[in-house]
Amino acid sequence: MSTSTGTDTPATTAEQTAAALRTAIRASDPQLSKFNPLSRILAHDDFNTGTHGWTELIGNYNGRGDLDTVDDHMRDFRPPQLSSCTFFDTGTHGAMSGTYALKLATRPYPGHTATAIRRLTMSGKGLLQIEAYFTYKAEATLGGTEQEDSFGDITWDGNLHPSEAQFGCFTVATDLCSDQGLRYHTTARYLNTDLEHRMRNQWVYAGVPEPTPREHLEGKVKLGYAADFTAPNPEDWHPFGEPQQLCFNEVPTKVNWHYLRWVVDTEARANVELQVNDRTYDMRQIPVPPYEDRYDSLENLLNFYFSVRTHSAVRNFLYLDSVLISAGW
Amino acid sequence: MRQSQTAVLERNTVLSGEFVTEPIEVAWAGQARWFVQVLGGAAAEHLEVTTQISPDGLTWCDLETDTVHSTEGSLLSWPVTAFGGWLRLRGRTAASGVKVRIYLSLKE
Repeated sequence: MSTSTGTDTPATTAEQTAAALRTAIRASDPQLSKFNPLSRILAHDDFNTGTHGWTELIGNYNGRGDLDTVDDHMRDFRPPQLSSCTFFDTGTHGAMSGTYALKLATRPYPGHTATAIRRLTMSGKGLLQIEAYFTYKAEATLGGTEQEDSFGDITWDGNLHPSEAQFGCFTVATDLCSDQGLRYHTTARYLNTDLEHRMRNQWVYAGVPEPTPREHLEGKVKLGYAADFTAPNPEDWHPFGEPQQLCFNEVPTKVNWHYLRWVVDTEARANVELQVNDRTYDMRQIPVPPYEDRYDSLENLLNFYFSVRTHSAVRNFLYLDSVLISAGW
Repeated sequence: MRQSQTAVLERNTVLSGEFVTEPIEVAWAGQARWFVQVLGGAAAEHLEVTTQISPDGLTWCDLETDTVHSTEGSLLSWPVTAFGGWLRLRGRTAASGVKVRIYLSLKE
């Protein structure tokens, strides 16, 4: 191998050999070769072996453990489930790797959100990446009348299925804090439908920080059950890139796995890029608004979460076959 | 080492009249144990629950080996096995309601 200048030095040759060896080792591992990690793998989660620390998010509560003090919009994010992707028509579909995937499932209540959060801390600064193989579904409907053949924009035509319009959105996001309490979020949401169930297929980001329990306690904000906890005002969600059609695959019981790779820079407190299948979106110009106030007890916070939100009275599901978190430090 | 998971299916929820919990997928688990914690309510003694199972998470029937459990104190617990791929609770209480937390403890 040679460098772009054609002048090898022992150091660059050694680095190139190490990089090639690392690539070769990863390529020979069926579980890792489907990922493209940064230099340090922090977590590789395959849900055939448990939930791997992906747990339900909940708002904060008082010193007496009284869960009635949890904010209404953050008290019912539902437990992630180990799912065999089993459906009424064909039985067990299974995951991309093995039988099980992690499933986030909403209630059948418009606006309800289910979450899974992974809690880590940062031992350095620089590029931070999450990769995942995912799919998304609305719960199948059994029975009813011909009215059930249409929903939102979609009427069943033997190909398109109203179930696709019953899926609201899913989100991948961070909760990060460094430099003596400077806290910020980065977000990427696939807005499948808007709140009127019209197909949007649009990636969007939140232009405001997430409301916090402290802000509620200070009287700054009070949100109701099923409010959008990431950014409650729909006008605070802004599009980036062109619309992207994913492979819902027509009916609610066919599962096709998609690749997602999302990079942020914790040194610059900035977005970098989002890749979903064959599309890569440059996110460097997307703003990352920090909280005005400093936060104690969160130094080097490194949280990732996935969420799914239904816009209809139909349960929405986000399935994760596997997740890999890596860092450049 | 065996995999395990405890899921909180209802958290400080006031249940009243006839109810069912949200479903949960449990095909991976060989054993399960319900914990129903009564947090308050004048009609706590009238809370009754039993296990339901499903082939697909959509259509449900009672688990034939389970019985109807009534509250006799603040914490009610019982094990279930041979439940297939899905679990939920069906129950009823007085219209005035009972506040509960419902845990499902699962293990391979």
